[in-house]
Amino acid sequence: MSTLVLDQVSKHFGGVVAAEKVSMQIPPGRITGLIGPNGAGKSTIVNLITGMMSLTAGTIRLGDRDLTTTSPHEISRAGLARTFQNIRLFKEAPAIDNVMGGFHRHEDSSLLASILALPSARAETRRIRARAAELLERFNMTRYASFPAGGLAYGHQRRVEFMRALASQPNVLLLDEPVAGMNDVEANEMGVIFKQLAAEGMAVLLIEHNMRFVTRLCEYVYVLDGGRLIAEGEPKKVIADPAVIAAYLGT
Amino acid sequence: MLQLFIAYQPLIDLFLLHSGLALAQYLVLRAGVFSVANAGLTAIGAYLAAGLTLKAGWPPALTMVLGAVAGMLVSMLLSLPLARLRGVYQAIATLAFVQVVLSLNVYSESLTGGAMGMNGIPKVVSTWTLLIALAGTLYIVWAINQTRLGRAFDAIRQDETVAASLGTSVRYYQTVAFALSGGIAGFYGGLEAFHSYSIEPSRFGFEFVVAILSYVVLGGRRSIWGPVVGTAVLLALPELARPLAEYRTLVYGLIMVLVMGYLPRGVYDTFVEYLYRRRIARMDRAAMAQSQGDAP
Repeated sequence: MSTLVLDQVSKHFGGVVAAEKVSMQIPPGRITGLIGPNGAGKSTIVNLITGMMSLTAGTIRLGDRDLTTTSPHEISRAGLARTFQNIRLFKEAPAIDNVMGGFHRHEDSSLLASILALPSARAETRRIRARAAELLERFNMTRYASFPAGGLAYGHQRRVEFMRALASQPNVLLLDEPVAGMNDVEANEMGVIFKQLAAEGMAVLLIEHNMRFVTRLCEYVYVLDGGRLIAEGEPKKVIADPAVIAAYLGT
Repeated sequence: MLQLFIAYQPLIDLFLLHSGLALAQYLVLRAGVFSVANAGLTAIGAYLAAGLTLKAGWPPALTMVLGAVAGMLVSMLLSLPLARLRGVYQAIATLAFVQVVLSLNVYSESLTGGAMGMNGIPKVVSTWTLLIALAGTLYIVWAINQTRLGRAFDAIRQDETVAASLGTSVRYYQTVAFALSGGIAGFYGGLEAFHSYSIEPSRFGFEFVVAILSYVVLGGRRSIWGPVVGTAVLLALPELARPLAEYRTLVYGLIMVLVMGYLPRGVYDTFVEYLYRRRIARMDRAAMAQSQGDAP
């Protein structure tokens, strides 16, 4: 297990600064928080880590592997998984097919076996379907397995997306506002799961608005404002930081 | 019965040929590549197979396979620049490719016979050959849907960004889809050449592109039966409405407009979707009834 390291990462859109010299560490076995007001650049950070945007400057490493200019699908294969702030599911497809999509990283049947549906490729499909069904069961979603994902309730869609990310058995999990739109009970349920994952050795980055949720779950928090880190450290100390209060509440 | 078959044999043959071509078109669309290059690839397969048999005397079975290989190789080459384009730009670029192939066939007279095309091609492809070919094509397309290839194609078509974030190489899978589709298209070119005695450049032009595309649009783009149903409907229509034969293209156009406006998923897929929604609604009601029954 290795630590995800951002070193002096910057992203400029023309003259607009989306991220400026951001350095972060997301080690395994811990939930690391990333908070900040709207437009602070939190989602930009996730997009930079996952290769969906290119960096203007800086480096991103996972352990000793440099991911700075790696393409998105290779970054995923290196063991990074993410969820999206505005849920992005395969809407036409049933919920279970969405979860099955997450296993792609672990599919290894040969091209020829896939074209001809040889027994090895079909066995792989059966195996993955069974494992997706297990995940649905674990999250109490079996009932919705064959429902089109786009028609599910908002909270359920979030769950499907989370399961899809989990299906890839990542080393690093990037959660972009994973409990937005959930009530406190549902959010707490998810929080327990996040803690379990971290305890199992996963590196989790949690992006959130809800300060209470972050303080309860994270051991370490980074605060972003205007693309710059303005504070970092233990949640309790960070919240008391005058710069953070100013960023959130104004002066 | 036999007489009916003989009377309609040309139509049945046409249906089998065009169903295969429609399935090749379906395959690329499924992987999110908006390519209409298949008309050009079919022409390449047809000309290569017919040419090698007529001029070099190679057996048709071999030259048809070579036609398929050529279709596959050319589409792999074509996928290099195409990977940089998306959506309607892919359609425009591949339509240009179809025109290039057509022009080459017209102007390289010594090789292709120019605008007159190639004549006197032995007819070795029977209805049975076509039937076996279509069965094989259906199997491959079905097989792909059962395995990781189909899952990757579906993911890419629905959301490229998400597919990439799940580790799917968009470029690799779209090239695979394009190559397979090109191979099938090239093979059907050979079948067409050895079925119709002669081929000429204009047969694989814009009209061909539109015809094949309309089968898929009319039938549907998700289920493998969509393209087959679309082909059957569009080919049977002029036969059923003989009095309208004169206005055939008009009727064609009208149907396409109506289908795109009211059944954008295609006739067959809309039907499947309807059955699916009914099943889901029934399951939902059953689950509701059960949870209410459980309550005290």
